[in-house]
Amino acid sequence: MGGLWRPAWGRVVFCGWRWSHLGSPARAAERVEAFLRPRWNETGDAQWGLRRLGTWKRTSPRARDRAVQQPRRPKSTNPFTRAQEEDWRRRNKTVLTYVAAAAVGMLGASYAAVPLYRLYCQTTGLGGSAVAGHASDQIENMVPVKDRIIKVTFNADVHASLQWNFRPQQTEIYVVPGETALAFYKAKNPTDKPVIGISTYNVVPFEAGQYFNKIQCFCFEEQRLNPQEEVDMPVFFYIDPEFAEDPKMVNVDLITLSYTFFEAKEGYTLPVPGYN
Amino acid sequence: MSTAMNFGTKSFQPRPPDKGSFPLDHFGECKSFKDKFMKCLRDNNFENALCRIQSKEYLECRMNRQLMAQEPLEKLGFGDLIDGKSEKK
Repeated sequence: MGGLWRPAWGRVVFCGWRWSHLGSPARAAERVEAFLRPRWNETGDAQWGLRRLGTWKRTSPRARDRAVQQPRRPKSTNPFTRAQEEDWRRRNKTVLTYVAAAAVGMLGASYAAVPLYRLYCQTTGLGGSAVAGHASDQIENMVPVKDRIIKVTFNADVHASLQWNFRPQQTEIYVVPGETALAFYKAKNPTDKPVIGISTYNVVPFEAGQYFNKIQCFCFEEQRLNPQEEVDMPVFFYIDPEFAEDPKMVNVDLITLSYTFFEAKEGYTLPVPGYN
Repeated sequence: MSTAMNFGTKSFQPRPPDKGSFPLDHFGECKSFKDKFMKCLRDNNFENALCRIQSKEYLECRMNRQLMAQEPLEKLGFGDLIDGKSEKK
C-alpha cells in the first residue's frame, strides 16, 4: 500500500482532481485503488469511491458543501466513534473557552497596567525614571571624555503673550561628555507689572537629548520678575559620558538647548514631567 | 516638537532637573562672579574646560548666599578642582 494514502488528505486533495493530474500510470492505479477501497468509517461501499473519483461528475468542493448544508450532526454512524466525536467536540469547546478567557484577561491586564505602574512608581519613588538614584553618585565618579568635544548652542524663545526679553548670554559653549558646565540666560521684565513666567526646554537632536542631564536650571518652576527687573538665569548641566560610547551619536557634534518661557496664569500648575 | 500629535513618532520628553530649580538672584549678589565667568568664556573662545574654576566660584557664591542648596563640590563634578587647590596650598 502506498504511503500516499492518508485519510484526511484523501478528502481534500484528491477531491475533484482529474485523471490527468495523477502522474505515472502505476501511481495512478494505486490512487484509484485507494478510492475503491472501503474507508475506515464506512461500511464498505464501492459506490462511494466511484463518486469520489468524479465519474459521477459532481462539482469539486462537495465534501465541504455537505458539511455546511447539514446541521451539526456527528459525521459517523458508528456509535463508538460518535461518542468519541462528542467527546472531542466538548473538549474543543472547553479549550476554546479557556483561550477566549486568556485573551480577554490579557486585554484587561494591558489596560490595568497603566494605573498599576503609576502606583509602583509612587511607592518606590522612582518618578518615571527606570534607574533609581543614578544622578549624584554618577556625577561624583564620572570621568570626562576629553577627546570628544561637543558644541552646545543656546536658543531662547518667549511665548507671544509674555513680554519678557529673554536671551542667552553666550551663543555657544564647547564641552566634553562627563564634564559639568555652566551657562547663563538673561531675562528682563520691561513692563510695569510683576510677571510670572514658567519655562520648558528642548534639546535637538532628539536622540542626544537623553544624554543631556541638567543638574539645576530654572525650568518648570514659576519665576517671578518684578517690574523693570533683569536677572541672570543659570543652567548647570553635563552630558553623560556614555554619549561617547553610543554608536548612533558618532556624528553628533552639535547640540542645541532651547528654552521657551510662557506666562504662568494664576492658579495654573504646569504638569511636571514624571509621576510626581 | 513635543506637542505635535503624531502617532508613532518619538517625541521629546523633558526631564526635570536633578536638583530642582535655581532660585532667582533678584539682588544680583553673584553678578560679579557671573561676569568673571562670562569674561573667561569669551577670552577662551567659549571653552568650558578652561573656565571651570570660575563656574565653581559662581556656584560657591550661590551656596553661600542661600541661592542654592549646599552640596559638596565633588557631587557637582568639581572633585578634581578641589584636589588641585589643596595641592597648590
